[in-house]
This record gives sequence, C-alpha cells and structure tokens, in this order.
Amino acid sequence: MGMLRAGLCPGLTEEMVQLLRSHRIKTVVDLASADLEEVAQKCGLSYKALVALKRVLLAQFAAFPLNGADLYEELKTSTAILSTGIGSLDKLLDAGLYTGEVTEIVGGPGSGKTQVCLCVAAHVAHSLHQNVLYIDSNGGLTASRLLQLLQCRTRDEEEQAGALRRIQVAHAFDIFQMLDRLHDLRGAVAQQVSGSSGTVKVVIVDSVTAVVSPLLGGQQREGLALMMQLARELKTLARDLGIAVMVTNHITRDRDSGRLKPALGRSWSFVPSTRVLLDSIEGAGTAGRSQRMACLTKSPRQPTGLQEVVDIRTWGTSEQGAALQEEQT
Amino acid sequence: MAPRGGLAGRLWSPNSVDSGRLAEKCLTGAVGTVEMLLARLEGRRSLKEIEPHLFADEDSPVQGDILEFHGAEGTGKTEMLYHLTARCILPKSEGGLDLEVLFIDTDYHFDMLRLVTILEHRLSQSSEERIKHCLGRLFLVSCSSSTQLLLTLHALEAMLCSHPALCILILDSLSAFYWTDRVNGGESVSSQEAVQRRCAQVLERLAREYRLVLFTTTQSIMQKAWTSPEGPSATTQRPSKQDVDYRPYLCKAWQQVVKQRVFFSKQEDSQSCRQFLLVSHHPKSNTSKKHSFVIGESGVEFR
Repeated sequence: MGMLRAGLCPGLTEEMVQLLRSHRIKTVVDLASADLEEVAQKCGLSYKALVALKRVLLAQFAAFPLNGADLYEELKTSTAILSTGIGSLDKLLDAGLYTGEVTEIVGGPGSGKTQVCLCVAAHVAHSLHQNVLYIDSNGGLTASRLLQLLQCRTRDEEEQAGALRRIQVAHAFDIFQMLDRLHDLRGAVAQQVSGSSGTVKVVIVDSVTAVVSPLLGGQQREGLALMMQLARELKTLARDLGIAVMVTNHITRDRDSGRLKPALGRSWSFVPSTRVLLDSIEGAGTAGRSQRMACLTKSPRQPTGLQEVVDIRTWGTSEQGAALQEEQT
Repeated sequence: MAPRGGLAGRLWSPNSVDSGRLAEKCLTGAVGTVEMLLARLEGRRSLKEIEPHLFADEDSPVQGDILEFHGAEGTGKTEMLYHLTARCILPKSEGGLDLEVLFIDTDYHFDMLRLVTILEHRLSQSSEERIKHCLGRLFLVSCSSSTQLLLTLHALEAMLCSHPALCILILDSLSAFYWTDRVNGGESVSSQEAVQRRCAQVLERLAREYRLVLFTTTQSIMQKAWTSPEGPSATTQRPSKQDVDYRPYLCKAWQQVVKQRVFFSKQEDSQSCRQFLLVSHHPKSNTSKKHSFVIGESGVEFR
C-alpha cells in the first residue's frame, strides 16, 4: 500500500505524481507527513489542491473511527455463543465459544486436544446446525471418529450424513497452505457461495504449532512475522465474519523456571483471548485414565484458575448417550 | 489584522504561536468553531482525578503526557485501560469524568462486551439507554498495519479539532506490528524502525498540540535471557535496581517521549491467584511506586 500513482484517487494526475516524486514524496505516508506549505512552494502546486488531495487520501487509506454506541448495537446482534457440547468445558468458557474471538486449547501429547476439536465440530454441526471449517495440520482428524461421535448423538443416518456434510475439512501442512485456506474461506464468504461456505460459524485449527514451530528459532525474524500474520488473519476472520476460532497448541518447558507454558513463545501468547489447559490427572488410576483436568489460564471475562474434570470417554456423549441408552432398554 | 476583543483577540496574539498555528490548521483542514478550539486550549476539567490510586497528586497525568503500560500477557494491562475508559466516559453523577475517549485497537483485542459489563456494574441504575449514552463518548478505530496506523494518526487531527471533549487517547497496543515491521522494513534496523519512529513523533505532536493524555500498552515480547533467539542482537542493560522484567525493544524515539512507564505483573500468591502488581516508574526523576490490584466483575479494584 502506499505508492502514489496517477488515478490512485480522484484529483491525482500523472504530472502531480511526477512533481511530487521529484521532491522525494513517493508514498501516501510521505505526503501525509509533509509540510504542505513547503511542498506547495517547491512544487508549484496549489496549497488548496494539496490539502484536498491529502484529505481524500487519508479518507481512503486511514481507518475510520466508529462510535461506541453504534458498535455495541452491532455486536449485540452479531455476537453468538456456541456451546461446545461438553458441559464442563462450557462452564470454563462462560457458556461456550464466543464468535469474534480466538480460543486456544493447550496441552501435552495425549491430553485430548484433538478429541475436544472433534467433539466441538460434531456438536456444532449436528445440534447447532452450523457449518464448521476444520483445518487439520497434523493428521489427527479421521472421519470415522467423527461418525462415531455423531452416532452417539443420533441414530438417524440422514441426520448423521447431514451433519458430516456441514463439516468442511481442509489440510494444511505448512503455514502458506494454512494462510491460503483462510483466504479461500474469506473469498467464499465474500462471494456468498451458497451451500457449504455460507454459514461457517466455527473454524478449528488443529494444530497451529505444527505449522508455526518449524519457522521459529534461530535469529530469523521472518518466522515470527509469518506467525503474527497468521495470528492477524485468524483474528480478523473472527471479527469480520463473526466466526468463533478455536486453535490448539502444544506446551513446552520454560528454560529458566522449568514450568510448563504454551508453545510458540511470548508473541503468540497475546493472540488468543481465552486459553484452556488440558492435563492428565495424577494418581487417577485405571479408572481415571480417560479423565483430564481442564484449567482456565486466560479469559477476558472469568477469573483464571477455574478447573473442571472432563472425561474423554463420554465427551459430548454423556447427555445424548444416556438418552439413547434409555431408549434401547 | 484588526485587533478584535475577547476570544478572537486572544487567539491571534503573537505570544500564543502554537495556538495560532493550531487554529489555522483546524480552520483550513476541518470543521471547527473558535469557541470549540478555545474550550480545548483553556483549562478543562482536570485529569488529576482520573485514577487517584494510581496517580498521586504530584505525578498525575497532565495534558500532553504519554504513559506506557508494559507487561507480559494476562497481567491486566487491557483491563486497566477498560477501567480508565470507564472512569472517563461515565457521567459526573456516577463518579466519572464526562470526557470523550478515542481507543485505537491494533490487534483486534478490544472486547466491547467486557467494557459494557464494567459499565453495568459501575452505574447506579444500569439501563440500555444509560450505557449507550456513555458509549456515545467512546470512539474506536482498528488498524491493520503500521502504515495504516500512521495515516490514521494523521487523519485524527480533523477529528480532534471537532471534538473538544476528546482528551484521552488510548492505543492498544503499539508493539503489535513489531515483527511485521522488522521483516518488511529492509536490512538495517533503522529503516525497519522508520514507521515506528514516525508514529512516535506524530503521537508526541498530537499529545502536545491537542493537549491529550496518551495511554499506550506495549507487550513484553522479549525473553529474559540474553541469549534468547527472539531478542535483538544489541540489547541495552536491564536496570538492575528495578525488580521488573523490562527489555526495551521499541525505537529510541518512542522511549524518549514516554513520561511515565507502568510495569504490570501477576503476583504469584498462593492465597489468591488473581492479584496483580504494578510498578509505576518515571524515567526522568527515576522514582518508582508500587501498587497492587485485583480484577473483579466490575473491573480493576485497587487494594
């Protein structure tokens, strides 16, 4: 963005561009920060024309302030809370995933992050009838597991098929593919392609560490810039399209204190608005092997430190599963 | 120019060069009456009461001051901004200051619902109308790149002229484009920092000329160890007398305009993990003060 050229805005002619360029004003930023009186004298252009040009360019390229009351009105109608289908997780998230925000699930290997994602996808597709985009970057998604989760919810095969159709799967094994997928989603929504992309309400990225961690390390800045670009894409997607974004991340050990912390470093830690840490429960024994402790470590609206026990085996199926059991007997 | 008495005469006097130039800028560039302009230049309601716990009398922010909130994630910086915003936009009858606030959001972090929750708890009778009336005093801008931030700051002059009650500028956060700028800026560190430097200069000029108070947050994104892969290769020594983890990484131009730096951290307390600590530091006088606070439903509460 930013090079001055003829036709960039009404009133900017080729000769003006050349005159400005000969006095080292090449970009919009240069023109906005220049002292227009001086420029008018040196270039021989009229001061009023330059002021008008600056005003038009700023109106075109600068962000426009919105009034808080208007924004609140808009948000009241467009923000939705999507239940995850897991009661204890909903309690931690204050009723569910909020659209317009990025929620992060963090945990070590085998802590159940992919299971949470699959459960959320199945629940949103089946019970809430919304479309889900599932971006898989480490091959943890299997359609048979999704079908299993759906079968626990409903015996009707039509419903199961309908729910499966609402889950779009995309594979992205490096960051450029992931950015492309997100870009495709934007494009599809912009063109209002009827059918699948119409009402995507949840985007699940499992996992973001798999595509970003190869870029970090060493003295390279490009990796961090790409990571921040991905972060910005996810957040603008959430905000602009009213989508709830859920990402998963790994944990690493802090070098100095030895404590466990989310991977991807400090810059990424500012990106999600909510973070839930999944951990296995110590000393749970064979009975508790499928149980996990979910702890809220960052939240914009709840106090951190809340903990709930979740059981993977019955995730999302406890309510419906019990109902179906009763039907059978 | 024939001398006119009263307001206009004061405006064009040779002593007030700044106000004259300011007036000219406003009148050529934007809609604004002379009275509106003077309402800004004369003393307005003092900002000393903006947060009595945080700013003791002698170092309360006066017009033209720039304050930096620095800390790691989850340490309460944005909550403090909501607290200050709520203080400003609430009407005087509810304990506020009846001022307008401009909030610049660079990383899509602003949570309107949280601000509304805070306002609901602070209003004596919270109704939709009263909340919308308060929110009418808040203006929100979102920027997606550092050049857009710079252009937005230039475009703000028109808005500042037409809103004399707008005297608080909040920027959350200034360091959001740091890595993107480092990569896009070219090979030398100074060309990478060029846009940041210009932003700092424009912010300082706006705060000085339009008599604003600027609160900005910067994220603590550099690791503690000196061999960290994320940090810049030439780092300044951390001041050892401070017990805060501060590694300056923004350009020198910005570090020089900051009048007061507030460091946020979480207190590792076994009793209550919700306690936060802030250390308020003045670089010029090299004094520090500590405060602790908790964050409840109604926002920041000082202990």
